[in-house]
Amino acid sequence: MFVCVCFRCESCVEMLFVRGSGNCVQCNTPLRKSNFRVQLFEDPAIDKEVEIRKKVLKIYNKREFDFSTLKEYNDYLEQVEDIVFNLTNNIDVERTKQMMEQYQRDNKDIIQRNKAKLTREQEELEELLLQDHQDSEQRRLETLQEEQRHLQAKRINKQALLDELEISKLPAAVLLAQHKDRASQLETQIEKQKQNVKPANIFSTGIMMGQTVSLASVSRVEEVLYVYQLLCIDTYGPPVLELDQLGRLGYLNHVRTASPQDQAGGYTSGLACHRAIQDAFSGLFPS
Amino acid sequence: MIPKLCYFLKLLVFIILNNLILKLKLNIDGLLVYFPYDYIYPEQYSYMLELKRTLDAKGHGVLEMPSGTGKTISLLSLIVAYQKAYPLEVTKLVYCSRTVPEIEKVVEELRKLMDYYTKQTEAKNDFLALALSSRKNLCIHPEVSALRFGKEVDGKCHSLTASYIRAQHHSNPSQPVCQFYEEFDAVGRQVPIPPGIYNLDDLKDFGRRKGWCPYFLARYAILHANIVVYSYHYLLDPKIADLVSKELAKKSVVVFDEAHNIDNVCIDSMSVNITRRTLDRCQTNVETLQNTISRIKETDAAKLREEYSRLVEGLKEANVARETDMYLSNPVLPDEILQEAVPGSIRTAEHFVGFMKRFLEYLKARLRIHHVVQESAPQFLKDIYEKVCIDRKPLRFCAERLRSLLRTLEIADIADFSAITLISHFATLVSTYSKGFTIIIEPFEDRTPTIANPVLHFSCMDPSIAIKPVFGRFQSVIITSGTLSPLDIYPRILDFRPVTVASFTMTLARTCLCPLIVGRGNDQVAMTSKFETREDFAVIRNYGNLLLEMSAIVPDGIVAFFTSYIYMENIVASWYEQGILENIQRNKLIFIETQDAAETSMALEKYQEACENGRGAILLSVARGKVSEGIDFVHHYGRAVIMFGVPYVYTQSRILKARLEYLRDQFQIRENDFLTFDAMRHAAQCVGRAIRGKTDYGLMIFADKRYARADKRGKLPRWIQEHLTDGSLNLTIDETVQLGKHFLRQMAQPFRQEDQLGLSLLTLEQLQSEDMLQKIAQIAQQA
Repeated sequence: MFVCVCFRCESCVEMLFVRGSGNCVQCNTPLRKSNFRVQLFEDPAIDKEVEIRKKVLKIYNKREFDFSTLKEYNDYLEQVEDIVFNLTNNIDVERTKQMMEQYQRDNKDIIQRNKAKLTREQEELEELLLQDHQDSEQRRLETLQEEQRHLQAKRINKQALLDELEISKLPAAVLLAQHKDRASQLETQIEKQKQNVKPANIFSTGIMMGQTVSLASVSRVEEVLYVYQLLCIDTYGPPVLELDQLGRLGYLNHVRTASPQDQAGGYTSGLACHRAIQDAFSGLFPS
Repeated sequence: MIPKLCYFLKLLVFIILNNLILKLKLNIDGLLVYFPYDYIYPEQYSYMLELKRTLDAKGHGVLEMPSGTGKTISLLSLIVAYQKAYPLEVTKLVYCSRTVPEIEKVVEELRKLMDYYTKQTEAKNDFLALALSSRKNLCIHPEVSALRFGKEVDGKCHSLTASYIRAQHHSNPSQPVCQFYEEFDAVGRQVPIPPGIYNLDDLKDFGRRKGWCPYFLARYAILHANIVVYSYHYLLDPKIADLVSKELAKKSVVVFDEAHNIDNVCIDSMSVNITRRTLDRCQTNVETLQNTISRIKETDAAKLREEYSRLVEGLKEANVARETDMYLSNPVLPDEILQEAVPGSIRTAEHFVGFMKRFLEYLKARLRIHHVVQESAPQFLKDIYEKVCIDRKPLRFCAERLRSLLRTLEIADIADFSAITLISHFATLVSTYSKGFTIIIEPFEDRTPTIANPVLHFSCMDPSIAIKPVFGRFQSVIITSGTLSPLDIYPRILDFRPVTVASFTMTLARTCLCPLIVGRGNDQVAMTSKFETREDFAVIRNYGNLLLEMSAIVPDGIVAFFTSYIYMENIVASWYEQGILENIQRNKLIFIETQDAAETSMALEKYQEACENGRGAILLSVARGKVSEGIDFVHHYGRAVIMFGVPYVYTQSRILKARLEYLRDQFQIRENDFLTFDAMRHAAQCVGRAIRGKTDYGLMIFADKRYARADKRGKLPRWIQEHLTDGSLNLTIDETVQLGKHFLRQMAQPFRQEDQLGLSLLTLEQLQSEDMLQKIAQIAQQA
């Protein structure tokens, strides 16, 4: 499954694979010359590890939103790391390979689906890069425009001077109009260029096209619906009469009747009486 | 008999009266301020007024007042008075200074103030003020304090006080620990340090008496001290600030003194430079780590397992860490630290080491280039993912994970691991901040394009990033210095909104400073250090003639500043060939500042000796060098300062270019404005070395015709600008000599305190007079 990761110098490669392909002298894997790469790092072990890692990551390409909790994702990451570690250090190679194949068979769909997607962090990076690029382009054009404007101002001045000098021969208005035309043309040209800088691959919401917006990952939160329950207070005392009974039983005769000013605010004498009785009745029985 | 008695009585009354009016009690805008001197400068009074307004508004302030007019004591007496009057409004004063001698100076002023307080109020003083510095300056352990370098001291201290070492000591008493820390840990925390003023030596004495570790005592005591004096880094460098200043109350007033370079301090505290040597040392670090891990795995696997399970749970280290274990904290600002569990890919020790190896190899590969590369943090992250499959998230946790591992492995000598710590800081910074930073990889230095010396600069371009938490956290932050002009640029580059911005001038009884701009030689050739003409023979000769002429008329010491070391070397060599040097040496001895600190301090010492005897001396030094920043030339040590050229920073540096671009895009500060601002603040620092008080006097000679331009002149501090008349803008050497002679002759006349009284030195009565108050109101200029 893996291309051989043994190392040798360039001249040896030339000699061994004269015909373009052959078997590795160390591990007998069939190889092509074109598969040989130039060593990138000082430590060849790192080259090997990175090579293996890239292959493993092609299979183990689950993203953070494929997991419901961060802990699961972290466990998964550690598992990947273990596999890479085993393969680079030749520990349990056979078993690990089997495990990988098993995984590949089990998760075919996810692997296929995630192949084209970047991780969220990478997307963020891409976005930042794009923005940087746009900003710098914008700035470049702005400075260009600035320069242009300066130049133009100079030219206009010059022209005006000339016109004044030649005023007897040619009407200055014609020249000026021509000049104006040219100026506005330039302006629009630059403006057009500026428009072009604005990226075409962004939706109106500011989300980049092709970006993965995890739609399915919002997990349903199951909760019991709220049910209203009647408020029931134990007052440790005899039951208090209802508000509408107070008048009938003559309780209200003993309290001050509400004046029209009081009633304007919604006050009735029954309210005060009810409160007073509640106060008086509560806490009478020992709990 | 009777007349004699009368005389005695008179004398007695006089003495009593004298004692009564001795030292001032001022009424600053309704606040009673004790001022421990007999007289006060008008600008000090004005300064205190502005300061009071800033504190009242609970906002930030930018205040510029010339050096030698008593900034420190004005600050201290007002803020202490404020603390006493409104103990709930301002609970603490955090005074940040740059160097240890400056810290000591502040503490001495404070001591004077407090003595006066106790004398006046006769109440027992309950104020606690202390200075804090590094272990190197505070350690009293006989072996550890003998070490020379700060890093060694820190490492050794850590190896004696780390919590696991102390635990080992428990079971195995032969394991050495620091008895001072043990004593402090056992007793020192319960007993508060008695109120008073402690400088570094006092702390050490106190520690020796009690047998407590002064360093940890001070770090513990700053939590309840009323005044803390320490270095900038304890607040601005996130690596240290998180350990030391984390728990300072919001209601503190923070003062940054000598703050004209504060933006550079901010930038340095967030930047990382990586050389090939760093990487090599890091390589050995990684190998050591790997060996230690495999050893521990055989002997004590439980330890690794415990760390692993802690990381799985995402437990924060802060809960378990002890003060002595925290060697360096996270390099990013607290609000940028991710609050979640360490990612799974670097959870186990082996995986982390593998991760570091990959990162290291990647950096090595990057440093193997032959051309200069400049890229942004996102570009770097993208590339690192493509090359070695390193994600952003584990990078962000790199510093924290390394710290945890070092502690688990119980590596005592942390100092050896500085290389890998640096790399981990870089990893965390580069992955945390996507804006305001740039990465520049240079394969060689500009001056030596043939010698490969690759450096990776990870450079912060935005000073406001580091200082932002300080402004956000504390209710008042005061930025003050002798040279902060133009005042409006500091709020812009540090990105904050001050409530007061003011510049104060020096009121003088006689004009004791004489700034002159020399633009031409006697042959009318323009004098300038401009790049195109700096090799010009005529310019060099004219500079030499200027120095020669000045050496003939100025008594005692002359300090001359050049724009760079290379420029100085070239010019001095050329002077030697032309015989100018010989002529100068007939008048004065010549000393030269070099890049070597020991050599320079030797030269300084001899220079001062030469100023004391005989004809005096000339010190040739460099703007931005050691001499230009920290060393004062009072009185006869500096009667004239000559600034040869405009001290622009080396503009071809890529870091500077990136920073300028950033300033332009983010803060709308034009490149030229910033460069001129930077050059002029250094020029002002240099020439300000000579005037350290009102009785001092000195010539300030700006030897470059560009100083006469309005954009340069306008950026000088106001107290210098005021004395620059139109007549002294474009002088020839002869004219300069004439003016200088006249000035020096005038200044050499005797000058007594009485001459100053009422003009630039006030007693209490004079201060209270109506027209003086009016005058004072004009001193402060709002920017």
